[in-house]
Amino acid sequence: MSRRSSLAHLLPELVRTLFARRATVRFPSEPPVLAEAYRGRGVVHAELCVGCGLCVRDCPAFALELEREGRHRFRLVHFEDRCAYCGQCVDSCRQDAIALVSEFPRASPCRTAFTRVLVTHEASEE
Amino acid sequence: MSRITIPIGPQHPALKEPLSFLLTVEGERIVESALRIGYVHRGLERLFQDRSYVQNVHIAERVCGICSHIHTTAYCQGVEALLGLEVPRRALYVRTLLCELERIHSHLLWLGVLAEHIGFTTVFMYAWRDREIVLDIMEDLSGGRVAHAVNAIGGVRIDIENDHIPAIHARLDELERQMEMFLGVIQHERTFQARTRGVGCLTQEQVQRYCVVGPVARASGVAMDIRRDQPYAVYDELSFRVITADEGDVWARTMVRALEIVESMGMCRQLLDKLPEGPLASRAPRRVPAGLVISRCEAPRGELLYVIRSDGSDRPARVKIRTPTLPTLATLKDQLRGVHTADVPTILAGVDLCIACADR
Repeated sequence: MSRRSSLAHLLPELVRTLFARRATVRFPSEPPVLAEAYRGRGVVHAELCVGCGLCVRDCPAFALELEREGRHRFRLVHFEDRCAYCGQCVDSCRQDAIALVSEFPRASPCRTAFTRVLVTHEASEE
Repeated sequence: MSRITIPIGPQHPALKEPLSFLLTVEGERIVESALRIGYVHRGLERLFQDRSYVQNVHIAERVCGICSHIHTTAYCQGVEALLGLEVPRRALYVRTLLCELERIHSHLLWLGVLAEHIGFTTVFMYAWRDREIVLDIMEDLSGGRVAHAVNAIGGVRIDIENDHIPAIHARLDELERQMEMFLGVIQHERTFQARTRGVGCLTQEQVQRYCVVGPVARASGVAMDIRRDQPYAVYDELSFRVITADEGDVWARTMVRALEIVESMGMCRQLLDKLPEGPLASRAPRRVPAGLVISRCEAPRGELLYVIRSDGSDRPARVKIRTPTLPTLATLKDQLRGVHTADVPTILAGVDLCIACADR
């Protein structure tokens, strides 16, 4: 096999690559390119949440906690530092109250910055 | 000539995963090798017993970072068999599509790793660049590049919109063009031939003795493939070839995997064209009746086996995983005997080891 025929399979690709545009973005000064289906930051429609705790029960990373004070008073807390962004909570919720939106999770040097209260439900009926 | 023993690993230049070798060399030739594994043992099988069946889907996904979807497929398939649950056909099609996309991604990743180890950095760069095409398809479908979280017990969690299908076909066209280039390089490039021909040979008898599975077995002429031999999901409705080769060396393994990528692309197209209408999941009860099930799937590296035992509660009593890398590791002693030390990285890369899978 001649050296020329050996290289022939790669040369067109080498030339094409020379004129290819940049594939990366300058994160964080430029926003990251995320797919529409990207499972990022968790959001809850507070008015739909009934505090049933199905999401807490099924979360494989123990990233959700339901703090209950009485029948109609509860808080749903999300520990983003534990979250695996698997979307099991979205699947488990029967009220369609939780969604993981296409937004890159924040970074912080402080762990407490990752604790977010998703729902605060006061006892309006009591 | 005096013998020298060289310890390699667990952190070493040949592989990105921890694996330790003691190579005894006489000059440049290896006369003996000893292998030590277990550096990334995470106790996952035990962890399965502490989590519910639903939570375990995500544990199974994290056994391997490359073939994550096939692990959840094998696990969910096993639990569904215990439940006697019928999975909707559309869900099985989506599941199979992701399995094949994952095979393409795994094989392209492997091609890049092999190319890097034989000193062919150009192909490494191109293979990893073109792997992005299939990763983009998977990210658009599931939202994740490698952790797809697509499978659930009883079905899948994602849907494929009809107007999304032409875009997937277009990306597969692009990948098909690139695969022609890769096949040309593998078959004709002198560097590739010189570094892979006759290296790491395994005969058909050795493959059968060590119970080797997957592309390594197929490259030695053993035509075994769970997708054809014991079809799961919707593989019985697809037409595909089981690729084999006779040489049994690293070059044959490269050809088998490259041609498997082409076959998998054909299967993806069939799945997209035949995608039936219907629901995406059946409702699964939380408690699973007592019983024992063996679930087998064809992972990119070969047959993956899950044994699940249920005691009737909402947690499995035992989950045993047998990954395709395990028997392949046993062959390394034979493969390394008598080779040059310079060929060690080629042999290690050539069998496509996944230590995280094997250690669990």
